[in-house]
Amino acid sequence: MWAKWLETSPWGYPVRTSLWLYPFIQLIHFAGLSMWIGTSLALDMRLMGVGPKRRTAAELHEQLFAWNWIGFGIVVLGGFLLFSSAASTFLENTPFIWKLVHFVPCALLTHIVVQVKAPAWGRQESTPPVAKLAAVLEVSLWLCVATAAVLIPAF
Amino acid sequence: MYDILEAIEEWGWVVYIGRHRIFEVISMLHYFTIFWVVGTIALIDLRVLGLVGTKQTATEWQEQLSPWMWIAMVICLVSGFLEFAPGGGDFYLNFVFKWKVVATFAGIILSVMVYRGVPKWDRLPSMPGSAKVLAALCLIVWVGTILLGVEVANYASF
Repeated sequence: MWAKWLETSPWGYPVRTSLWLYPFIQLIHFAGLSMWIGTSLALDMRLMGVGPKRRTAAELHEQLFAWNWIGFGIVVLGGFLLFSSAASTFLENTPFIWKLVHFVPCALLTHIVVQVKAPAWGRQESTPPVAKLAAVLEVSLWLCVATAAVLIPAF
Repeated sequence: MYDILEAIEEWGWVVYIGRHRIFEVISMLHYFTIFWVVGTIALIDLRVLGLVGTKQTATEWQEQLSPWMWIAMVICLVSGFLEFAPGGGDFYLNFVFKWKVVATFAGIILSVMVYRGVPKWDRLPSMPGSAKVLAALCLIVWVGTILLGVEVANYASF
């Protein structure tokens, strides 16, 4: 019932019925995703000890932190508007359920742990094994999110 | 060109990709790496614009991020071609796809110009206006590429 309410809401209805609004919101969602993935992976790779080591992970985290969460805010806003436009259809889509209910919460939780611990883990040039493990786990979980997202139109 | 692309669709490995689950894996790689590429390029462009990473020089910032930009770009281009090949003829008829290809190459050229310009601009007292215009243009073109990518499916003939 709340799905139908979302679809007829003052924000869901225009996105669903407008010719240009849906792709425009998709663009916003994807632009936010670019910022989110670009900043998250830069830190994850540094925590893994892969690539340039000119900066410590802690320094990188400090510099990327604001843009990482700005990207996240844009992703959530765009995603919510896209979901609102066809909520009942999305809720019947198995890959979407996997993406939103299973993978995104796990990936987000791992991301928050990485963000909170990065200043401590990344103080030295070399990062501890737990930091590497957390970074690998985060990247793997975001790949699962991407896989589910790609499969959404097929169901 | 259309005939060539139709012929490529008949190649054994292209047919295999088009008919097996590996197509979804390739799609996922393309989908994921486009955000990685654009995100990393955006961070370098935003540094040129003076909006991020200002505690270090633009060259240092770029040296930290650019390996990921190039690696992700290669994966994105290769996976993009593998995704394109099984339906090349149909993609060729899609004008939005053609514009996406044009925008992608324009974005790559602009990114290379920014990449090569950063060490020179860094030696100047401040980031020149032309560098900021180039970085902003690069950012706009890549966002446009995403928009065109989103629109390709809406104009597909398959």
